[in-house]
Formats: sequence, structure tokens, C-alpha cells
Amino acid sequence: MIRLTRERKGPTMATISSRPYAWPYNGDLRAENTALLVIDMQTDFCGKGGYVDCMGYDIALTARAIEPIKKLLQAARQVQGLTIIHTREGHRPDLSDLPANKRWRSAQIGAEIGAPGPMGRILVRGEKGWDIIPELYPEPGEIIIDKPGKGSFCATDLEMILRQKGIENLILTGITTDVCVHTTMREANDRGFECVVLEDCTGATDWGNHEAALKMVTMQGGVFGAVSDSEQIIRALAALPQKP
Amino acid sequence: MFIEASPYPWPYDGNLSAENTALLVIDMQADFVSKGGWVDQQGYDIALTARAIKPLQRLLEAARAVKGFTIIHTREGHRPDLSDLPENKLWRSQRIGAAIGSQGPLGRLLIRGEKGWDIIPELYPEPGEIIVDKPGKGAFYATDLEAILRKRNIRNLLFTGVTTDCCVSTTLRDANDRGYECLTLEDCTGATIFANHESTLSTIQTTGGLFGCVSSSGPVIEALRQLAQRQG
Repeated sequence: MIRLTRERKGPTMATISSRPYAWPYNGDLRAENTALLVIDMQTDFCGKGGYVDCMGYDIALTARAIEPIKKLLQAARQVQGLTIIHTREGHRPDLSDLPANKRWRSAQIGAEIGAPGPMGRILVRGEKGWDIIPELYPEPGEIIIDKPGKGSFCATDLEMILRQKGIENLILTGITTDVCVHTTMREANDRGFECVVLEDCTGATDWGNHEAALKMVTMQGGVFGAVSDSEQIIRALAALPQKP
Repeated sequence: MFIEASPYPWPYDGNLSAENTALLVIDMQADFVSKGGWVDQQGYDIALTARAIKPLQRLLEAARAVKGFTIIHTREGHRPDLSDLPENKLWRSQRIGAAIGSQGPLGRLLIRGEKGWDIIPELYPEPGEIIVDKPGKGAFYATDLEAILRKRNIRNLLFTGVTTDCCVSTTLRDANDRGYECLTLEDCTGATIFANHESTLSTIQTTGGLFGCVSSSGPVIEALRQLAQRQG
């Protein structure tokens, strides 16, 4: 439910229904200061024959985010001036940006980064499995961040872009909840960004970890921000000025 | 040399020496583990964070016996003028009745230079040990930690301190993405909710060691003793 919060700041400020508090904290939710982050919706993480599938996890747990994100993207693309950013985890073909221990661990579980898989070399930039799935593919004007780590801020230009655009609020979606989404949320939180993570637009390879990750966000009055869902955000987006 | 750990003997390649390894002691400040501190003021049970003190004392003793071993302590806190305090962090702390910068029993909450902000006497850094002051949960953001680690060619990190799910885990994730080989010690950490402590340790061990390994002070102290013995 969108709520007018006149008592907080200005006459037209809106928050969304979320826990443990109505997000954003100051009611300053505008297209100009808000970005939608879609994290790692790549075949390697939610598609048949990708990295997560090769490790033997149930991809239904990560693929659950596809439909809700699709609806959310549709609504976000109607909003005038809203920033949409997609991220992709992956490494250079020469693996020069792949930490030796990350490579070793992936080899240990039989899905070595850089090795050939059913969808091309696993987690390597330019390969089929590494790219964003067709259902959620970025449209022209949307930003793509290629990242070598779990977090989207480490060794990328994400922070520079957000600062340049005057972004203050981040809507986090994508996979996996406890790994790349959480690491990015923690990085963003320490940098002072006001974050909300959407429970139906995320997913983890282990359901218990998904739930625990969401619970951690709500500790200490919202230690990393707030938790909500796509329905609430879509309503809030519909209330913002739309494209002609 | 390997240390008994889960899900694999740590470090992954057995390359463990006094020169390439550092012990990180995260935020063992009165504000997080003592009566009257920030966590206590929020109404959490400090026994859950203070549990790390005794094992850490024994671990520090063993680490200090190894020549050339790097020991780094961190402290979360803000400048007295609050110029490095994000507005939303302040707002959230106000909302739960423990506003950062406000007066508490041990001085202004989470403010540099105050009594509650400093490291507890039992674990106080000795001369030559490094202290990193950080404004966030992670110890890499807006600090010189990475520059220090790179300069010393450190590649293995031992993680201890509080809280497991917050500052330890954020720093662990920061370090893991940077390629450091990390080991988290279950008895030398603690969270304000025990289930969060456990699930954090579980996440570390998934996918063959997503963020490295988990062990406890016993095997690590044994390895440190071996390093000290080799030095004679």
C-alpha cells in the first residue's frame, strides 16, 4: 500500500509497505533518486545447463524470481526517468580476474569456472550461459554491470554511476538471495544507500538460506534496510509520473 | 600446513605461513559486548556476543607467540561530528531507541574516542598490532585495510569477533570477493540472535565453501603453535 507520509518530509512523499519499516526511511521515493537493480539473472544461475544446474542444485528455487521480475520490469520501464541496472557475474576469457581459490573451489564441486559446460565455458564473459536470460534481457538505455565477484560494487563502476545519477534508493532483485544479492546489499548499505529487497523477486539455492537472508535484513530495526515484494513496488511505481 | 576445517582442510592449497596470514579481530568493543554498550542499549542479550571473549583471549595469546604474524583489530564508530554517518543509519538507530551519537552509560554511542566505542581491556591491542577504524559494517569500505593487506602480501585471513551475521559476515564477503582465503572461527564469533550465527556459518560452507571455511580456536591454536615452534 502506498502511503502519503506528510509528517515526514514534504507534501507528496510516498513510502511502500515493507518490514521492519515503511521504505524508504525518509519517504523520498522518486524516479530520479531510485534505481532498480536486477542481479545476475543469467542462465548460469537460473537456466538448464548453467553453472548452478551443473552443481546439482534445483534451479526452480532461483528461477522462481523470473516471473515476478518480468512484471516488475514492465512497470519500471513505464516510469519516466527511473534507472534500471542489470548485473552479470563472470570472468574474462583469460581468467586474469579469477581468484585462484574461487577457481579451486568450483573445480572441487565439479563445475570449474572456465571449463566447458553445456552452455559454453562456465561463468566466462561472452558465453551463452553467462548472459542474461531472454525473458529479462536489458532494453536499450538500461545499464549492465559486469562484475567478477559476488558483490556488485567490488571492482566495478557501479558506485560511480549511482553517485553521478544522484541515486539514493536501491530496489534489489535477482539471485541468489544469500550470496550475490546479500553481498551487494551489504556493500550498498555501508555506502549509505537506502535499500529494499523484494522477497518474491529473489531466490537461493537453499530455501532456508533465502529465508534467513531476508530475516537478517530486518534485524536491529533494519540493519541492511527493508524487505518487501513486487506487488508493493509495482503499486508505488504506478504512482510515479509515467512515460508519455 | 592445513587446519582442520569444514568443508575442506584450510587453506585450500596448504600455503599457510606466519608471513602470509593475518588474524582479524572484528569490533570487540564495549558497544557490542559489554553492559551499557550499544547492543545492550538495544535490548539484546550480550552473553551471545561476549561468548567470543574467552576463546579469543587464548587465540590472541597463541598468535602473539608467532614472530611476524599480523594481527589486526577493527572498531566500528563515527567521527564526533557525525560527518561520516549515513542519514539512514542514524535514523534507524534513533527508531530503536539507541541513536548513534546520543549519550549512553558508556559515553556517546558508537562515537570514536568514547569509552563504549573502544576495544574491551581483555582483548586490547598490543603495540605493533594494527587497528582499523571503520564507519560501516565491512572493514574494507572507507578504510586502509586492503592497502595494508596487499602491502604485507597477506592472502589468508582468520575471522573472529562480533557480530557473526553483521560485521564479520560483511567483512568476510568483502575479503572473499578480493580473493583472500578466509577461515571463520565459530567459537570466536557471536551474533545477537543465535540462529543468525548458525545460518551465517552454514552459508559460508555451502557450494564447497562459498566464503571459505569454518573451524574453531582449537585447531587454529594448534597450527599457530606449530608455526612458533618452526621459528625456534
